[in-house]
Amino acid sequence: MNKITCAFISVLQHSNKSYGSATLLGRQLSYKSDLSLDKIYPNARLKLYTPPPPPGSGDKFNGYIPMDKLEISYSRSSGPGGQHVNTSNTKVDVRFKLSEAHWIPEKTREKLLKALANKLNKEGYYFIKSDLTRSQQMNLADALEKLRTLIRAQELDEPTAPSEETVEKLRRRQEKAARERLQQKRSRSQTKQDRQA
Amino acid sequence: MAHLRESTDKALKLLRTLPRVQIGNLRPNPNSKQNDKRGRAQHGGDKHGAGNKGSGQRQNFMRLGYETGNQPFYLRFPYEPYYKGHHMRREYPPISMLQLQVLIDTNRIDISQPIDIATLCNSGLMTLKPAELQYGFQLTDEGLDNFKAKINIEVQHASEAVIAAVERNGGVIRTAYYDPRSLHILSNPKKWFEKGVPIPLRMLPPQDAVEYYTDAKNRGYLANPEEISKERLVLAQKYGYELPRIEDDPNYEMLTAAKDPRQLFHGLEPGWLINLVDKTIVKLKTT
Repeated sequence: MNKITCAFISVLQHSNKSYGSATLLGRQLSYKSDLSLDKIYPNARLKLYTPPPPPGSGDKFNGYIPMDKLEISYSRSSGPGGQHVNTSNTKVDVRFKLSEAHWIPEKTREKLLKALANKLNKEGYYFIKSDLTRSQQMNLADALEKLRTLIRAQELDEPTAPSEETVEKLRRRQEKAARERLQQKRSRSQTKQDRQA
Repeated sequence: MAHLRESTDKALKLLRTLPRVQIGNLRPNPNSKQNDKRGRAQHGGDKHGAGNKGSGQRQNFMRLGYETGNQPFYLRFPYEPYYKGHHMRREYPPISMLQLQVLIDTNRIDISQPIDIATLCNSGLMTLKPAELQYGFQLTDEGLDNFKAKINIEVQHASEAVIAAVERNGGVIRTAYYDPRSLHILSNPKKWFEKGVPIPLRMLPPQDAVEYYTDAKNRGYLANPEEISKERLVLAQKYGYELPRIEDDPNYEMLTAAKDPRQLFHGLEPGWLINLVDKTIVKLKTT
């Protein structure tokens, strides 16, 4: 063992670390058994990192909402619940200016502006409120879920006309029904005639 | 072998005190002699071992379990599947987020170090009874709105809302499995170290638990770390908070410190023998 390694080891011994790994000459010195994560997932990034937000792919809303663009405020919920509902701010109000929401693709934004034209306030803000649960965190999740559903509803394809096969199938069904109805009618009529003197 | 030496000594001692071996002292090996009695004459014949009168002599025996009319024992109790498989059901005693916050605020738990079962049991306020099929702690969602501590915690089960609450404060949460022997060691580490037994390996989870611990959504200790990083962003988007950049945190190393799947204690390897009296560690010699 050379002098550099000895020096490093003495530094390690004097440090107050009692957890996980330590590095010596750039190498990880933590215990690695036969089942360590680098053996189970050899090609993965083992250290925790913060991935960047997914890029917007043109027309479709990818589900990513930048939190700093939303104005979130909390207030007290309504309904029964005693001291808890009276004292905790569990109601969530999420607001954003629809015309300036660049995280929604342009086409969808325009559709939304049309659909929610009567629901925006004077400054052009759309807001979603939620007091579904007892927890502020869960109510915020609910509000965002509502927002995402709203945006995705605008992106659904328009109902297409039925295909030729379907139209033909329906026509045949209707004709058969008419034929059966007339047959039954005729048969009933004959029965009635036979009863006459 | 000490065992062989002891038994030889005992045998020799016996020989010194017992009387001399004679024909009258001997006995054949058990089951080596068969009974030569035939079914004839005074002792073997006559009733042929069937006794007098009754269903016994008439070879018309009552069925096994019959209790001469009253409800037999084996029919008294109907099948009630309440306890079926109860010996295999794992329990996870709960710790609420509120309790955890209180423990942190009252300095019962040191958050500058990773928190695991040993930390929680050493605080003296939590006990784990592995003998009663308790397989570790679960973190429940009571008080998660007011949770404000940046911790590196390892529990055995946590719901999605709890994981979100820990991560929104910049912390790290993992779910890990410990087998009953490891739990017994961790629930009172000091007492176990006094035994002078080398630290054992931690075993893998049973089949029905593997799926849970290999899933990144549950932050399982056997899950892909890259997927866990991605799931952190997904959860942040779902619950509506800005995911704090953990790489920029000065405590990054402490927060990402994780045990190996076979490791019981941070910084201690399986196979090491800890001597608390002399404050030394005896390690296996690698040949």
